[in-house]
Amino acid sequence: MKVEVFERLMAAQLSRRKILQRGAGAGAMAALTASGLGGFASSAWAMSHVREEILKIPGVGVGSPSDSDWQKVGALCLEPTKARVSKGEFAGVELAFLGLNNQNLHNFLFRGFLKPWEAYTGAKIDWIDLAQADYNARLQQSIATGTVDFDIIEMGAPFEGDVCGKGLASEMPGWVMDQIEMDDYVGYLKAPVGTWAGKTYRISIDGDCHNFNYRTDYFEDAKLAAAWKAEGHKGAWEVPKTWQKVQEVTKFLKGKKTGGFDAYGYLDPLKGWGGFGFYFLGSRATAYAKHPDDPAWLFDPDTMKPRVNNAAWVRAIQDVLDVLDAQPADQINADPGTTGFQQFLAGTGSMLSWWGDIGSNAKTSDTSVVGDTVGFSILPGSDDVYNSKTGKWDTLASGPNYAPNMAYIGWGVYVMARVDGDAKKHKAAWSAAAHLGGKDISLWCAAYPSGFQPYRNSHFDIPEWVGAGYDEGFIADYLASEADSYNHPNAAIEPRIPGIFQYYSVAEDELAKIYAGQYSAQQGADRIAAAWDKITDQIGRKSQIELYKASLGI
Amino acid sequence: MAVQTEGDRLHTVASDHMSPGRILAGRALVWGTALVLVATAVVQALNDFGHIAFGFDNWRPVLYAYVLWAISLGVAQVLIRGEQGKRALFVLPAVLFVISMVVFPLLFGLYISFTDWNLSSLTGRKFNGLDNFRQMLSDPFYWNALKNMVYYVLAIVVEYAIAFSLALLLNAEIRARKFFRVVFLLPLMLSPVAVSWMVGKSMMEIRFGPLANLARFLGWETPSFFGSPIVARLTIEVMDAWTFIPFMMIMLLAGLQAMPKEVLEAAKVDGATRWQSFWEVIFPLMLPVSITAIAIRIIFKLKLADIIINVTAGGPGGATDSVTSFIFREYRDRSNVGYGTLLAMVYLILIVIFVTSLLSIVNRWSKRAGWGGSG
Repeated sequence: MKVEVFERLMAAQLSRRKILQRGAGAGAMAALTASGLGGFASSAWAMSHVREEILKIPGVGVGSPSDSDWQKVGALCLEPTKARVSKGEFAGVELAFLGLNNQNLHNFLFRGFLKPWEAYTGAKIDWIDLAQADYNARLQQSIATGTVDFDIIEMGAPFEGDVCGKGLASEMPGWVMDQIEMDDYVGYLKAPVGTWAGKTYRISIDGDCHNFNYRTDYFEDAKLAAAWKAEGHKGAWEVPKTWQKVQEVTKFLKGKKTGGFDAYGYLDPLKGWGGFGFYFLGSRATAYAKHPDDPAWLFDPDTMKPRVNNAAWVRAIQDVLDVLDAQPADQINADPGTTGFQQFLAGTGSMLSWWGDIGSNAKTSDTSVVGDTVGFSILPGSDDVYNSKTGKWDTLASGPNYAPNMAYIGWGVYVMARVDGDAKKHKAAWSAAAHLGGKDISLWCAAYPSGFQPYRNSHFDIPEWVGAGYDEGFIADYLASEADSYNHPNAAIEPRIPGIFQYYSVAEDELAKIYAGQYSAQQGADRIAAAWDKITDQIGRKSQIELYKASLGI
Repeated sequence: MAVQTEGDRLHTVASDHMSPGRILAGRALVWGTALVLVATAVVQALNDFGHIAFGFDNWRPVLYAYVLWAISLGVAQVLIRGEQGKRALFVLPAVLFVISMVVFPLLFGLYISFTDWNLSSLTGRKFNGLDNFRQMLSDPFYWNALKNMVYYVLAIVVEYAIAFSLALLLNAEIRARKFFRVVFLLPLMLSPVAVSWMVGKSMMEIRFGPLANLARFLGWETPSFFGSPIVARLTIEVMDAWTFIPFMMIMLLAGLQAMPKEVLEAAKVDGATRWQSFWEVIFPLMLPVSITAIAIRIIFKLKLADIIINVTAGGPGGATDSVTSFIFREYRDRSNVGYGTLLAMVYLILIVIFVTSLLSIVNRWSKRAGWGGSG
C-alpha cells in the first residue's frame, strides 16, 4: 500500500473515531461508508499481500524504523481484529499495559502497533514502562503486595510460575487462539510452555534462544589462516563448531590484528545484568551439561540439588577464566549489553552468543557496522558431555554434543485476571494482546529491530525475507541458526519456576568474584550451589520440585 | 468567662471551667474512636492470620479508623482542655503525621527484618527470629561492602583538603571570581546518575571515551578504569568526589567569608607569614564549619549507591560494592525483602551510632581546645 493512500485512510479513521466519541451515531457512520473510505475495513486485503507490504516498511538497509513505521504496520495488520471487534466497540475502556522500555524497543513498538488498534476500537491504553533491570522487582512486588495495577503484561515465560501459578492471569479465550493462529508456533513454544495446570495463558510474541554469531571476515582472513597453520593448530582455519575450538581460536587471536584492528575471539560478558547475565554462562555450559538422555541440566529434578557445581558447569566457568586475558581491555566491566551492542555490532570481537537481536540488528540498525560480515549457527557443541547420573564424561557415537540454550524462552503477552469480571474489558484486553501476537505483525517483528526473534513456522519462509530486501545468504544462514536451535532434540529449556531470577542474580554476584580471581571455578561454583539451595529452601523445596518437574514435562 | 492573667503569659479569653459533660464527651470521643481503631486492626489482623473468617479485603479501613481517631483526638483536645487544647492543635497534626509516616514504617520495617519474606515464596512472610541477623554475620558480601565503605569514608579527608584549597582560592582576590564560583558548583547540580553515564560510561569508555584517549596519549597503552579492584574503587571515588567536593567547598567558602577580617589583619600586623596565618588562625577558626561540612559529607557518602549501580554493579568482584548497592541487589534482584530490610536496619543503626559518636567526640575535643561547640 502506498504511504499517501495509507495516510489518507489513517486520517479518515481518526476522524471516524472522533465522530464516535462525540456520539454522532449511525448517520455519520453511514455517510463515511458512503464516501468509500469505510471500505477500508472490508476483507479486500489478501493476507499474503499484507505480509509483503509490511515487510517493505521501511525496507531493509534504509535505517531503523520509526514510530510512524510501527503505526503503519499496526494499521495494516488490523484485519484479524476487525473480523472480531466492531468499530468503537471498546469506547470508554482503559487498559494499563506493563512492558519494557529498553533499547531493543518493546513498549515503544507496542505503542505504535496499538495506536491504530486504539483508533479503531475506541479503547485507550495507559503505558507502564520499565527498564529491563527493574522489571523483575516491579513484577514481584506487585504480586507479593497484591497491587497488580496492570491489565496486560509483556512477560517472559520464566515468570509464569510467579504469575500463572498464583492465579493472577486470565485464561485465553478460544477466539484468541484462532485469531493468533497458535498452531503456527514452533514446537518448543507449544504446551506446556504458556500453560499452567492445563490452561493456556500466553500469547507468544518472541522465541528465545541463544545462537552463535561470528564474523565471517575473520575466518576468511588469509593472514590469520596462515598464522593458524604456522602455529601448528590442527584443522583448517574455520568457524569453530565446538567450545574446545572456540577456546583455541580465542587464545590464538590474542595479540593479532585483522583489517588493521585488534583481533579478539569469543566475547564473554563478565559483569552482571540483573540476572540476565547468567544466561551467557549457560550458553557456554549447555553443551557440557545437557546430556541427550537427561532433560534436566540446571537442577536435579528429584531433589532440586543444584548442578551448577558439577564438572560440566565448572568446566564452562574455567573456560571463561582461561580466556580472560584474551578479551578486550576492561571486559570485567562489560555486561551483555556491552558485548552485544557496543562490542560485536560495533566491530569488536569475532564470536558471540546472544539472542537473535544480533542478527536482526546487524543489517537494520543504524549502529551496526558488521552487517555484511556476520554469520550464524547454533551454539557450539562439545566433544564430550557430562553425565550427571554416572558422574562421568561421555563421548557420543553421533559426534559432538550440541544443546542450544533456549534462554528465557521468549517474551509473551499475558492478560491479567483482574479483567475477568468485566466482559467488555476482558474482550478489549485480549483483543489488544492478540493484535500484538498476530501472525503477520510477528513477521515484521522478526525482520526488523524489535527485541523479538522468529518464533513461528511461518517465519522461516526465506523468499518472504528476500522480498523484503534481505540478502538471501545472510537470511538463510540467520534463520537456519534459529530454526535449528528451536527444533534441536537436545535443546536446553530453562525451568519455569518461581524466583528463577533470584538464582541467576545470586550466581552473577558469585561469578563476579570468580572472574575477579577471588575463588577458583570449583570454589565459586560451590558457593553458587549453596546460595541456590538456600533460595530453594526459602521459596519452598517441595513446590519447586513439583514445578521444575512440570516444566521439564516429567 | 474571664480574662486570664495568671499562670499563662498569653492573655486569652477562654472558659475557666470545662463542664463535666463536655469533658466526658471529649473523653468518650477519644476512647470511642480508639476502640474502633483497635477493633478494626485486631479484626483485620486475625483475618489476615486466618484465625477468623470475616474481615476486610485490605487494611485500608484500619487507615480510615486511624484518621478518624486522629481527628477525634484533635476535637477532644478542644473539648477537654479548651484554649490549651486549641494550642495543641498546632502541633498535634504534625506529630500524628510523623508517627504515621516515620515511626510506624520504621517499626513495621523492624518487624519485617525479623521475617523470612521472599516475594516468590507461595507461603508469604514468616517470622524467623534472628535468622536474618545470623545470616548477615556470615555474609561475605555484606562485610565486603562495609569494608569498602570504610575506604570511601576515609577518602573524605582528601576531598576535604581539595575542597578547602578551592574555597581559599575562590575567597582570594582572583579574576572572574564569580564565574569560577558558579563553574565549580556545576558538578553538584548534576544528578549522580547523569555523572555515571556521562563520565563513567561515556567519557571513560575504553575505546572511544575522551578520557581513555587522553590516557593513551599520556602513555597508558591499554587504559582500563574499572578493570582492577583498586583502580575501579579509585575511579568510583573520584566520580563521587567530583560531584560532592563543590558541596564542601561552598560550605567552607561561606565560613571563610564570615570570618572576622580583624583577626587576619592582626595576624598580619604581628608579622605572621601566609602559612602561619593559615595554620594558626584561619584553620582553627574554620574548624567548626569544617567539622559540620565533613559530618554532612560522611552522611552523604554512606548513602553512596547510584554511581556504583550504574557503572560497575559492585564489580569487579565486589571491589566497588557499597552497602546500599548490595542491599539494592538483595532486595531488587532477589526479592529477598526480609533479609534486605534487616541489612538496611543494621546499617541505619551503624550510621546513627557512628555519626552520633563522631559528633560527640568532636564536640568534646573542640570544647577542650576552646574552639566552642561545633554542633
